[in-house]
Formats: sequence, structure tokens, C-alpha cells
Amino acid sequence: MRKEDVLQLPSMPLQSPTYPRGPFRFFNRKYLIVNYRTDPKAIRDALPEPLEPDGDQVSVQWLDLPDGEGFGAYSAAAQVIPCTLKGEPCNFISQMYVNNTSPLAGGREIWGYPMKFGHASLITHGDTLTGSLEYASQITAQGTMTYKHQAHPEIVNRENLLLARKQVTLKIIPGIDGTPEIAQLIGITFENVTVEGAWIGNARLDLTPSVNCTLADLPVHQVTGGVHLVTSMTLPYGHLLHDYLA
Amino acid sequence: MNIDQILKLPSMPAACPSYPLGPYRFINREYMIITYETDHDLLRAAVPEPLVPNAEGHVLYEWIRMPDSSGFGDYTESGIVIPCTFEGEVVNYTAQMYLDDEPPISAGREIWGFPKKYAFPKLSVNSDTLTGTLNYAGELVAMGTMAYKHQASPGGLEAMNKAMTKTSCVLKVIPNFDGKPKICQLVAFNLTDISIKGSWISPARLQLIPHVNAPVADLPIKKVIGGKHYIGDLTLPHGRVLFDFVKDQKP
Repeated sequence: MRKEDVLQLPSMPLQSPTYPRGPFRFFNRKYLIVNYRTDPKAIRDALPEPLEPDGDQVSVQWLDLPDGEGFGAYSAAAQVIPCTLKGEPCNFISQMYVNNTSPLAGGREIWGYPMKFGHASLITHGDTLTGSLEYASQITAQGTMTYKHQAHPEIVNRENLLLARKQVTLKIIPGIDGTPEIAQLIGITFENVTVEGAWIGNARLDLTPSVNCTLADLPVHQVTGGVHLVTSMTLPYGHLLHDYLA
Repeated sequence: MNIDQILKLPSMPAACPSYPLGPYRFINREYMIITYETDHDLLRAAVPEPLVPNAEGHVLYEWIRMPDSSGFGDYTESGIVIPCTFEGEVVNYTAQMYLDDEPPISAGREIWGFPKKYAFPKLSVNSDTLTGTLNYAGELVAMGTMAYKHQASPGGLEAMNKAMTKTSCVLKVIPNFDGKPKICQLVAFNLTDISIKGSWISPARLQLIPHVNAPVADLPIKKVIGGKHYIGDLTLPHGRVLFDFVKDQKP
């Protein structure tokens, strides 16, 4: 391959790039979001400066992504910490687990989504919307929610605002000598969001301590409720919020 | 988390980094490598300039069992290596890699630029046959076999130890957050503290099946040359930049 063509590669490997160029449109993207109160000191420790905590609530989320442009079909689980950056409300994505290399490598390498390989699933079991996460053969998280008990237009509006909130990731990529080459806070704002359905309901959450899947490091003090969303949206490229090496 | 803690992070996520800082020590790493001859023009297209592929048209198809790897754990890999030269120096260019463990995928891609994807390779002794298979997205894409320990390799352990010090080379591509190229480099590294415990050669056979996302069959088999089987301990250190496509390339 000619040198000038190498620079046009969207990703490795040269012979079959793991992911194409963005933006990436997702169709029929389903969420189970379980919100809970946790230890404020654990939140402070988990948030990279200059992000500031915004209350004592965080969430564990499950995503079913049956149709993601460039990525295919997969499932994800994530921990999200509401925070502020210079006064602006944001959501810091602290951990994500997916079962597909394309979004895993693309997520880490483009935006710095903190993705590891885990087996998340989001399914409706009888009357229960159920999210589970298995990491290294052990169940590390289980969330359950009542199925479509309460739907209101205002919830759709509220959840639209929630999805419009800027996501923040900490992108760390080492250089070939092991020293940091990229250390940045990246901002991501979903585009063309269509909420096809939104429900709230009672929820429960169980997190199991595991050293390489540390969701339980933000312990569950009190579950404040569940949100179930069905959306379509576009994941665009990100923008630089803070450069730790500048 | 303050800036000092952030800059000391070996990897993402901050809450539980995928991989620690290197170097990485591998104990009882077991290789099966099948050398075959392919088409010259296809080989040229698969290798990034300024690397030059070997004149014989040889390709190495490999399986590696890694039961004990510091920082990474227990996993198996399969992939394609193309002998090349860089400014006259003989190097091994790694073109494709498939493995079943995320930390070495992320570390491999992010530190050196190993072109790794998640798949299910397997290397096992089935009765009298050393057998490698690779499953990608639910389908079998490669199957290789060697006769089991029929003949010690010529030159013995010493020759294999020396062969393992050959420079390896990969193409590291990491995009910027806006999609533009950020890191685009040819990277080189050399294994250290190599201790080969056993090394064998034998006839081999190899079957590669066309697949769009695991295109191992894109370099077709014209003739199988033979197989090598060896086991040893070694250390994978950090590397160095041979060529920077962003900085060294004149417009």
C-alpha cells in the first residue's frame, strides 16, 4: 500500500479496518437506566479534574444496540456519573462493557469511551425488563425494571433533555515508549435523536465487586428509579474539552 | 482524581485500567507457524510502504497459546506475519491478529499498533495432530495442522533463540477525536530475555476461508512450505517509531 493511502485508513488492520469513518447512526437503540444514590466521596475519586460532582446520584445503564452503522449488533453496560464542567451539566462515562470489537476499538480509539469486553444483555423476561453483565465468567451486575408501567409525553421530553446532555470521556492512549501520548477530556453530543418511547418505573440493582469490572466501587445506597428508552440517534465525532498534556 | 493520577494511568478506564504498564513477560508461549507461498502483487498491496515484502512471496500463518502472560492473563492468538525489509533490514510485519482476550487487544492496538480483533482461535494437540483453528463471528476461517514433534528444528534451541530476536514491525493507526489521523506510524520492537524450551519442524497443511472482516484468505495459498512448532519464555517490551506517516511524509 502506498504511503499516501496509509493515511486514509480509518483504523487498523490495513487489510480489513476494524471500524469505518463516522458519524455512526443507531436504529432502535434501547436503554435500561437504573439511577441510584451512592457515596459522594467515591464520586469525587472517580471523576477526573476539572470535572466537578453534580449531586450524589449515578446510574448503571444497559444498552441493546441491534443496528449500529459500522458496528453491527451488540449489547453494552455502562456506569454514568452526572457532573459539571465549568458549570455546564455533563455525564461522565466512567466504565463501559461491550461484546463486539468494532465499537470497542472504535470507542476507545476515537472518543476514549472506556470500553472493555464483557457480556451485557438487555432483555424482557416475562414481566421484567432485565439487564445483566458477565465479566470474566462472573455476573457483576443485574438490573431489573417493571415493564412499561408508566409512559408520559413529559417523560419523553425530559429524557430527550437527558440524552442531549453532553457526554464526557477521558481518552488515554499511550505512546510506543509507554508514556502518555493522548490524555484528553472529550465531549460528545448525540445528534438527530428521536425518542420512540420512554417509560419510568420501579427498579432494583445488584452490583458484585470484581477487580477488573469495578461497577460496585460506587456502592448502591438507594435506588431512585428506572428509565426505559427506545431511540434512534447519531453518534458524531467528538470535541476537545481539556488536554492534560497541553 | 487529579492530574498527576490521570497522567499515571496506564490505560482506560480510569476506574479499572484494561492493562498495566509494560514490559510484559510470557511464560510457556507455544507457537505453531505454517509458512506458505502466495501471490506477489497481493502481498505488495497488503504491506504498507516503506516496507518491502520478501521476494519469495512467503507468508507466515501463526497460532500462539499464551497461558501465562503478565498483565494479560491466559489467551490464544492467530494471525498473519509477512517477512519484509525496512531500508534493507530484515523485519517481520504483522498484518492481522485475532485473539480472545480484551486487555491484550486494547494494549496491542493502543501501545504498539498490533492489528488485533476479537475472535476465537484455538491451538491444541488432537491425538497425533497439532491443530490450529480460528473462528470469527461464528464462522471457521482458518485451520492448520502439523505432525506432532516429528523432528527437532535444525540448529536446535540456540538457532531458534537467535531467530526470535528478529525485529518485528506493525502499522499503528489511532484516529483523533474528530476522525482525522492522530497517530499513524510504523512501529518496531524486539523481544527480549528469550528462552526457547523446545522447537520442532514438520510438514503442514493450511486451509484459509474467505471472510470480509477476517480476510486471512486474501493472501491465497499457492504452496505450503512447512510448519514450525516451538515453546518458550520471552518478554515483550515497548517499541520505537521507524516511520511516521504524519510527520515524515513530504506532501
